[in-house]
Amino acid sequence: MKKDSLVYTVVFTFVVALAFVFVLALANDLTAARVADNKAFATQSAVLKALGVDYADPDEARRLFAELTLDAGDATGPAWKATIDGQSLVVVQETGAGLWGAITIMLAARPDAGRVSGVAILAQNETPGLGGRIEEAAFLDQFRGERSDGGIDVAVGAELSGLGDPDPDNGRVDGVTGASRTSVAFGTIVNAALARVRAISGGL
Amino acid sequence: MASKALTVLKENVWTNNPVLIQILGICSTLAVTNNLRNTLVMTVGVALTTAFSSMTLSAMKDLIPRKVRMIVQVLVISFYVILIDIVLRAYLPDVSRQLGPYVGLIITNCIIMGRAEAFAQANKPLLSFWDGITSGLGYMAVLMAIAAVRELLGFGSLFGLRVLPAGFTPWTIMVMAPSAFFLVAITIWAAKTMQARKPAKSAPRPAAVAPQGR
Repeated sequence: MKKDSLVYTVVFTFVVALAFVFVLALANDLTAARVADNKAFATQSAVLKALGVDYADPDEARRLFAELTLDAGDATGPAWKATIDGQSLVVVQETGAGLWGAITIMLAARPDAGRVSGVAILAQNETPGLGGRIEEAAFLDQFRGERSDGGIDVAVGAELSGLGDPDPDNGRVDGVTGASRTSVAFGTIVNAALARVRAISGGL
Repeated sequence: MASKALTVLKENVWTNNPVLIQILGICSTLAVTNNLRNTLVMTVGVALTTAFSSMTLSAMKDLIPRKVRMIVQVLVISFYVILIDIVLRAYLPDVSRQLGPYVGLIITNCIIMGRAEAFAQANKPLLSFWDGITSGLGYMAVLMAIAAVRELLGFGSLFGLRVLPAGFTPWTIMVMAPSAFFLVAITIWAAKTMQARKPAKSAPRPAAVAPQGR
């Protein structure tokens, strides 16, 4: 058959595409369980981080997650209930718009949403070095034990103290310098998550 | 064969460097070079994709009808890129999360198609593989140099380890794309000046014209 004939071209392209796509489908299928496992671990470790529970390795994290949390997910999204040191807490996963893409956080708070226990980030695509610094402990640790019955205010621009906000009773945290839009968006997502905590507890 | 391999290495890393001389792959140079770890993973991905796609296309070259040459090239390249993406997602989930869409963008890197067109078309599979690896190395060398400067001044760290004292104020511009423009330009200028001072003994490859692109 001539190499440039129509039939050869069509058959060749079809066979080549079929072969390569088959291998990809196979690779995808073989790793599917592992990928799902990674995803589950990412969620579980974020829940533990929000609850302020430390773990040494993935196995311990899985064990602690199974021991401590109770699934309380509803139609709006995933959520869990847990009791840490005698204090019952609600953890919700909340997604909202950041500056560049969606930010997904895990927020743990008291059932009445009066005080945040902790916040962890599951996924974000903010500018590395600027908005991306919301992943840093210095920013996230400000939320630990922060009073939140009136929502949480993320300070930006001239309101920034520049030192982080150490007062856990004023419902305020410092935003990230040079990333006002990301900081404000983060505050919106945190407050949406608090509203969900209230909704979940209200259904008790 | 050995001397040919050496020539290919020298050309791809220095005298005909894909970034410095062919000005290819600039898009990713601007996008991913603000920290060393991501840059390393990305450039290793590009080097492997270039090597394997060049080898595969070189092995297939006598079977490919002229009319669908480019279609087959894109198919093979995207095959390897998706494979890398799958492997990263399964075995290096943290890196995969950090790189986000950039892995998929490897396919738009013109170096890969450039080598497939300019080299793999006319050479044996093994040499094409070597050509792909060395092109990737040339690309990696430039990007890592730029990333080292950007991470050091933009974050005060190297590979995520703090190097500069805590009192150092990070240069915000270094984590933004514009700084890569300056640094790429300065690097190209420096390389060209050095090459002009010491003229390469082997004449530059003539028909190494790759598709114009980003």
